[in-house]
Amino acid sequence: MSYLSVNNATKQFGESFKALNGISVAVERGEFFTLLGPSGCGKTTLLRSIAGFNDLTSGEITLGGANLRVVPPHQRDIGMVFQDYAVFPHLSVFDNVAFGLKPRKVSAEAIKARVAEALAAVRLDAMADRLPAAMSGGQQQRIGLARAMVINPQLLLMDEPLSNLDAKLRIELREEIRDIQKQVNIATIYVTHDQEEALAISDRICVMNAGRIEQIGTPQEIYGNPQTQFVATFVGTLNFLNAGAALDAMLGQLNLSAAAAKSWAVRPEHLDLLVDGAPTSDGATLSGMVSKFTYLGREAHLQVETEVGRLVVQLANPGMAATKAVGETVSINVQPSAPMAFDAEGRRISSKG
Amino acid sequence: MPRFNFWTVVMILTWVMLFVLLFIPVGSVLVSSLYDQSGNPTIANYLKFLGEPRFHQAFINTLVVGFGGLIGALLLGSIMAFCVSRFVIGGGRFVSLLAILALVSPPFIGAYSWIVLFGAGGVVRGFLRDMGVNMPPIYGVGGILIVFSLKFYPYVYLMVSGALSNVNRSLEEAAEGLGLTPLQRTFKISFPMVFPALTAGGLLALIHAIADFGTPRLLGRGYNVLATEAFTLYSAEVGSNMSMATTISVVLILVSMVFVLLQRYMSRRNVYHGNMINKPVRIKLKGWRNVLAHVAVYFIGLSGAMPVIISVIYSFRKTSGPVFQSGFALQSYERILFNLGDVVRNSLTFSLTAVALIVIVGTVVGVLVARRTNFNTALLDGAFMVPYVMPGIVIGIAFIAAFNTGPIVLTGTATIIILSVFIRRLPYTVRTTASSLRQISPSMEEAAISLGYSPFQAFLRITVPLIVPGIIAGGMLSFVTAINELSSSLVLYVGSTMTMPVRIYLLILDGDFGTAAALSTVLLVLSGGAVYIAFRFMGRNEQALL
Repeated sequence: MSYLSVNNATKQFGESFKALNGISVAVERGEFFTLLGPSGCGKTTLLRSIAGFNDLTSGEITLGGANLRVVPPHQRDIGMVFQDYAVFPHLSVFDNVAFGLKPRKVSAEAIKARVAEALAAVRLDAMADRLPAAMSGGQQQRIGLARAMVINPQLLLMDEPLSNLDAKLRIELREEIRDIQKQVNIATIYVTHDQEEALAISDRICVMNAGRIEQIGTPQEIYGNPQTQFVATFVGTLNFLNAGAALDAMLGQLNLSAAAAKSWAVRPEHLDLLVDGAPTSDGATLSGMVSKFTYLGREAHLQVETEVGRLVVQLANPGMAATKAVGETVSINVQPSAPMAFDAEGRRISSKG
Repeated sequence: MPRFNFWTVVMILTWVMLFVLLFIPVGSVLVSSLYDQSGNPTIANYLKFLGEPRFHQAFINTLVVGFGGLIGALLLGSIMAFCVSRFVIGGGRFVSLLAILALVSPPFIGAYSWIVLFGAGGVVRGFLRDMGVNMPPIYGVGGILIVFSLKFYPYVYLMVSGALSNVNRSLEEAAEGLGLTPLQRTFKISFPMVFPALTAGGLLALIHAIADFGTPRLLGRGYNVLATEAFTLYSAEVGSNMSMATTISVVLILVSMVFVLLQRYMSRRNVYHGNMINKPVRIKLKGWRNVLAHVAVYFIGLSGAMPVIISVIYSFRKTSGPVFQSGFALQSYERILFNLGDVVRNSLTFSLTAVALIVIVGTVVGVLVARRTNFNTALLDGAFMVPYVMPGIVIGIAFIAAFNTGPIVLTGTATIIILSVFIRRLPYTVRTTASSLRQISPSMEEAAISLGYSPFQAFLRITVPLIVPGIIAGGMLSFVTAINELSSSLVLYVGSTMTMPVRIYLLILDGDFGTAAALSTVLLVLSGGAVYIAFRFMGRNEQALL
């Protein structure tokens, strides 16, 4: 049995709204597990049910084999990091971090040592005596992190801890969180709506939508082999191909077919521009006219009108010469591995005939 | 939950308290107004109210002083707020202090000070007469409106200046970019943004003007309003008419209610939450505009604080009996020390007891309202609006109607005065506690719970320390209101429970202005001390005084 397991969790609000609709997940010891999804998908509801701040309508949660639902939240021994930091403004940095050690009957010297260690881990050791009110968001969240970890909880929960920070700090702090988590090896559940953050930080990701699980897998599986149309569009972007003779011709050329396919799509980064317009040995060629060119520094997006519809092609490391003018004619190479097929329910289906 | 729930008990006790201190008194007023003097059910009182020209006049006069005071307060308050928050005014903090002084000045010492200056034998009027300028005395409706405007403008000033300094400057810059002139900008952008504050401040002025009893009593010279009519009918030595007094009380409550609902309706859709990236700046005016702005601000500020200044000066004047002599002395204060010690002691014990009760009960109920949101607490929140709109005179009459006979008899006790102050000020504490609790993120307590503290421990160790400064500050401001409370005490006092404001009222009626001025100065010092402590605890926040 897994370290933490949630079985068939359902949470009903009011008469009709199900925030969670039969969710089952299992998290192993030391694993960094992320709940990813748009707002309102139920990820925070699930996290708060594990923390004990709201109770499930039905279903079970076990931690280390013991039923967690009967334990009141303050006895669950679960550390939590909050989106709004929830740092106690009337206590010093030191007292904030020491707060959770007091009800655990830790001796005064041990508190001193453990708090110092935790503050060093989040690089706040020089600020122990300050009040948090005047500190930056990044520093406050580091306090929150130290405070949650210093009690050596059985489980660490993080509810969008980085979403109130600016972009640069977000990347910096997510690296720190990942490093610290690997060092202390605490099973961690992390909630975010940011796909890039989820890919960067997680051992495994659970993509949720409308109270249900879409897919659970490693970052590589989620991005590289999405099982539903929702996952493919939420994690990364998709070009949907218009149905018609041109699409059928292309699929035939690539030797792909799927009887139940409702829609076909291809990721912008899986398309290539042919420099001289000549067809290569494998793959199909689509020609079209450039309708927009967007330069982003490390990449560029080229929007092309083709027979199968408007396609965005991602160009890596665009040099000076990569610039295209609107109206220019280009040829696009499509590899057999690029197109993905989805059925009427949005499930990914095999495209190998 | 099967286990014993603390909050359910609190909820039940709160309803019991509201029932005894609010619904029974208000109900008694209503019932009493529906009976005649000999105890037969009748609607004759209301017919009499509709039929008698004297009551018509009082009703119309009430509306006249209410709206006149409202317009005056709006005018003075918004001029001052606009100047102080948009222009650099030398000594701006001093100006705010003048407004606070006007706000916490003891009741209707203001009216009397104006009589001293501009009455029939007024100092300024006499001086002007010697110069050949003959101005009419201040008595009558004009005088009442002048006093109301100067007494109630701080409500508008504090509300609007707070709102004006929160209007995002980018909005005005955007309007400027779209080609609006400064005047158009003021009316099309700033005015709608401060409109809710304007109506809220105006409502406070209106309600206080309608409820004010002392000013029309002293300055009116026959200009009767509902509050004075109710008091006269209640207190007449011969032919006291309780059922007619309660009928007028019902009318007063209805009038206040209508205005509260009207204000709520008007500012319903108009709450703007701007981001405050771009704070407004104060412009430094030049030349005659600068002089004009300074003159306007200081004229309003000093006029409003004039009664206080006058009574402080007069409290040190030498007297012979009630007559002022030239020169200064401490006679008036000696008289307080030797003859009026019990009055001061009464005021202090009543106010401190009421404030202690308000703080404890108000905090617990505030937590209930903020944290246990369900239908019952919404209803509770609404019920707490009622004492807020009840004029003091009406509360007094209601308490007499409820506790004169029957199972609980409190007439003539200190308890009845303390309870009347308690119920009037309780809504304020409930509201401030609830709103400061709503500002504390619930994740703060959740963090403490996840760290191993029980919900009650988390509340005690995290939430309580965060709201205590606000509670102390609120308690101090309640003390200011409690110790200055006149109109309900005037109905409820007996010889042994006389308070300072009541004594001041009686001294003025007796013509002993020296002692009245000294007693007012003592009140002012106590109020000022409480305001100072409040500001120390929550930072300088004039709006909390409203």
